[in-house]
Amino acid sequence: MSLCPRCQAAKEKIRTEHKGLNAQGELVWTIFHCVACEFTWRDSEPATTIDYDKREAFFRVDTEKPYPVIMPPAQYK
Amino acid sequence: MSTVKKPLSDTAKAVGERIGCLRDFLEFLEENGQCITWTDEILPEPDVRNIAVAAGRDSMNGPAVIFNNISGYPGKKLVLGVHGSFTNLALLLGHPKGTTIKELFYDIISRWGDDAPLLTFIEPEDAPVNENRITENFNLYDLLPLYRINEYDGGFYIGKANVVSRDPRDPDNFGKQNVGIYRIQVQSPGEFTLLSVPAHDMGRHIMAAEEEQVPLKISVMLGNHPAMCMFAATPIGYDESEFAYASQMMGSPLRLTKSGNGMDILADSEMVIEAELMNGVRSFEGPFGEFPGSYSGVRKIPRFKITAISHRNDPIFENIYIGRGWTEHDTLIGLNTSAPIYAQLTKDFPEVVAVNALYQHGLTGIISVKNRFAGFAKSVAMRALGTPHGTMYLKNLIMVDDDVDPFDLNEVMWALSTRTRAEDTIVIPNMPMIPIDPAAEVAGKGHRLIIDATSFMPPDKLGSDSKIVTPPAGPEIDALAKMIQALQNGEKP
Repeated sequence: MSLCPRCQAAKEKIRTEHKGLNAQGELVWTIFHCVACEFTWRDSEPATTIDYDKREAFFRVDTEKPYPVIMPPAQYK
Repeated sequence: MSTVKKPLSDTAKAVGERIGCLRDFLEFLEENGQCITWTDEILPEPDVRNIAVAAGRDSMNGPAVIFNNISGYPGKKLVLGVHGSFTNLALLLGHPKGTTIKELFYDIISRWGDDAPLLTFIEPEDAPVNENRITENFNLYDLLPLYRINEYDGGFYIGKANVVSRDPRDPDNFGKQNVGIYRIQVQSPGEFTLLSVPAHDMGRHIMAAEEEQVPLKISVMLGNHPAMCMFAATPIGYDESEFAYASQMMGSPLRLTKSGNGMDILADSEMVIEAELMNGVRSFEGPFGEFPGSYSGVRKIPRFKITAISHRNDPIFENIYIGRGWTEHDTLIGLNTSAPIYAQLTKDFPEVVAVNALYQHGLTGIISVKNRFAGFAKSVAMRALGTPHGTMYLKNLIMVDDDVDPFDLNEVMWALSTRTRAEDTIVIPNMPMIPIDPAAEVAGKGHRLIIDATSFMPPDKLGSDSKIVTPPAGPEIDALAKMIQALQNGEKP
């Protein structure tokens, strides 16, 4: 897993979150998290969720763009 | 707030006494054929969502589903659909299978209130939720069988937690302590985001804590008493207690204890996550497939850090499937959305007979009312828009007469077909609206629609030359219908 499936962040931004083992202790999947866009995924998920090219383009995230902020902290200042 | 109470039936009392927590209810559902266990090995995605959607298709009789063999989560249990059908709610309230939605509505109304709460407090060391206590190295991915609910969700969501928070400006006030369901996205092993907005009680708590620069501590209860979940999702008054309402509805005591960070929590929940708001921090969150049936987009929202976790031995993770309706979300909150609107309307207008706000948390509501004079139903509709829930949610209102069951859409369509003039529809432009309504003009603002489908009264001359056929109706016919159904099912009536 080199790039984020959602925002294409580089691999330095991808954190390995958790490894799922079966009852015999063998690895069955791994969960990753992108610290740039906060997307979380498991490598056993369908390609339509975790493959950048197969995901619907509508759901891509560009972290450089502004996104709505809920209860912006600036309003208290 | 309270309505006229009727004493509970012996069965309802017995059920109330028997069910003290989620585990008790699952056992009870299983005995009644309303809970199944999925023992085949499945993948977290897409299997959990596929099975949840299939089980939820039957909104009257669908079962809860326990998963105990999810790949990568050996020994972990997940349950969905606990509130997924009206029959499950009927059983909780001590009714048999086959109870109608309208019967459930009137029963909930007769139990509605917080004037006689039944709460007992036990010491934290005696509370089952504290059988295990974690104070460092938190890892939600290890503790819970987490998974993606809908395929384009931004991450793994906890969708049915009951979150307790106190008003930072009045921390000792029991009533202002809030219990609510807010969507939680796990952001790291020990942190999560939680979506609340200023219209929510908890949104007010977050804003107050950040304004005052004081910590906001919360307790996230998972796997709860089934009545608690129903009231955590109910729009009651700001200074009213969800614990009080839940216990009063069940007619038997709810056991509370203190969490490690000072909240009142259920003593018998499966897990309680204690956390603290990271003041001023906002993180990317979403999308999330929401109850209108569409994704709400990516936003930056408040973030919380876990400070401790308590859980029972072998905790059961209770979650929800939510998305395009009908889903468990609609059954969980439908009647509890309808009841307070009814209670608030009947204070001023006793002519209101029933309120059906089952659809998408009340984005469409159907109100049955006995017209006192010509045009009366429109005035009642305006009052409904001014109720706390109506202010943001009641977008489409259909007003029907008292001879129409608002929970029977065939009857509602009859009223629309035969009693509606096009000029009896009212559009009120640019009203407040929930931000996640995809039909909003701009997020948070949109138009309201009132359709008056009640019959005409003098001085209106229209319809005066037609007489309605009055087919036999009433309890006798209802009993016959049930008898026919029993015969059809091969049961002894």
